[in-house]
Amino acid sequence: MDKVRLLLSLITIVIIVVPIVGMLLAYQDNLLGLFIPPEINEIADDLMGGDGLDEFELEPVGQPQYDEASRTFSATFQFKNTFPIDVTIKSLSGNIKCKEHRFHLGNASLSEPVSIDKGETETMTVLGTWTEEAISHFHTKHAGEETVDVVLVDFAVDVSGIQIQLDQSQMEQSMQVPNPVYEG
Amino acid sequence: MKAIFTKINWFGLAGGATTILVIAVSMFYPWWQLTVGDDLVKVNASPVNMNFGFLGTTFTIPFIWALNVVSILILLASGIAMLVYSIIPRKSYSEHLLGFGYKKPLFTLLFFVIGLVVTTVICQAVLSINVPLMGSTTSTLPIPFASGITISVLLSAAFQWSFWLAVVAAGLCIAARLYHRKVAIAPSATTVT
Repeated sequence: MDKVRLLLSLITIVIIVVPIVGMLLAYQDNLLGLFIPPEINEIADDLMGGDGLDEFELEPVGQPQYDEASRTFSATFQFKNTFPIDVTIKSLSGNIKCKEHRFHLGNASLSEPVSIDKGETETMTVLGTWTEEAISHFHTKHAGEETVDVVLVDFAVDVSGIQIQLDQSQMEQSMQVPNPVYEG
Repeated sequence: MKAIFTKINWFGLAGGATTILVIAVSMFYPWWQLTVGDDLVKVNASPVNMNFGFLGTTFTIPFIWALNVVSILILLASGIAMLVYSIIPRKSYSEHLLGFGYKKPLFTLLFFVIGLVVTTVICQAVLSINVPLMGSTTSTLPIPFASGITISVLLSAAFQWSFWLAVVAAGLCIAARLYHRKVAIAPSATTVT
């Protein structure tokens, strides 16, 4: 009976010790590798090498369209996925301000989610709605201008479930929009 | 026939078989899973197979892999001991087999849960990231040296069915220990004169 007990105790010790000691011996020249596998270094390199948020830039494509009835304009942008993975931009929203007067003109949002493969460029459509105050601002400050320079600020982007909020100090997207009150 | 049935510790047999089943199942199905964002980061945790998925790359940590091997061998030895004991519960060495086998699934389960709780507490204390044990929460990630950027992610965690199978295995093994008193008592010998 004692032999059985001894054997079982021995089995327990061997089971615990052998894999751990074996792994320690295998990594004796690189003990850090025991806790940090090479994949983590590769991921870190990818993240450091990628431009990520630094290159989060929207390139305007064509002229924005304006619908007077709904006071809504739509603008198309190109976005290059500089992240090291395929991403889906599920939502994007921000405030629109007059570039010259920093007056709040309305809000912008993404028309529909966009999936972009790693390193690829896709187009996305942003919809913006002018407020009543914005229309007054266009009347009083930009009456004679066919287009007005505006900026998109205070971005809130949902990229594959990660919500990124960028305030004005981090990102400001300039664009030209048709002046809704221009009667040229 | 009835004698055979009464000689076997059925709880032990079921416990041993379930323990071995738990090993097989846990190779493919984690006990607990944490997902960050839309599968951007995935943690598949079980004492038998723990791996991490980060931005589409799956990897294991060598030291944790060694601990996984320890767990596999411990559970396997426990399962085999329970099966052998269950068939011959009245042998002189059977109690040793039972003592060796019945506690290990429970201890594996307890170490796993305690490990998870400690890890989530450390994440909260050191990294200020609130990792749920069950359910979903939105956590704001600290970004050093960057003002004006806020990054928040949805963290979803849940215990999977394989965890509950391990709970059943541990429960059956404990039941086998309790049932042992009944099954180990040899029937009184009848004397024929």
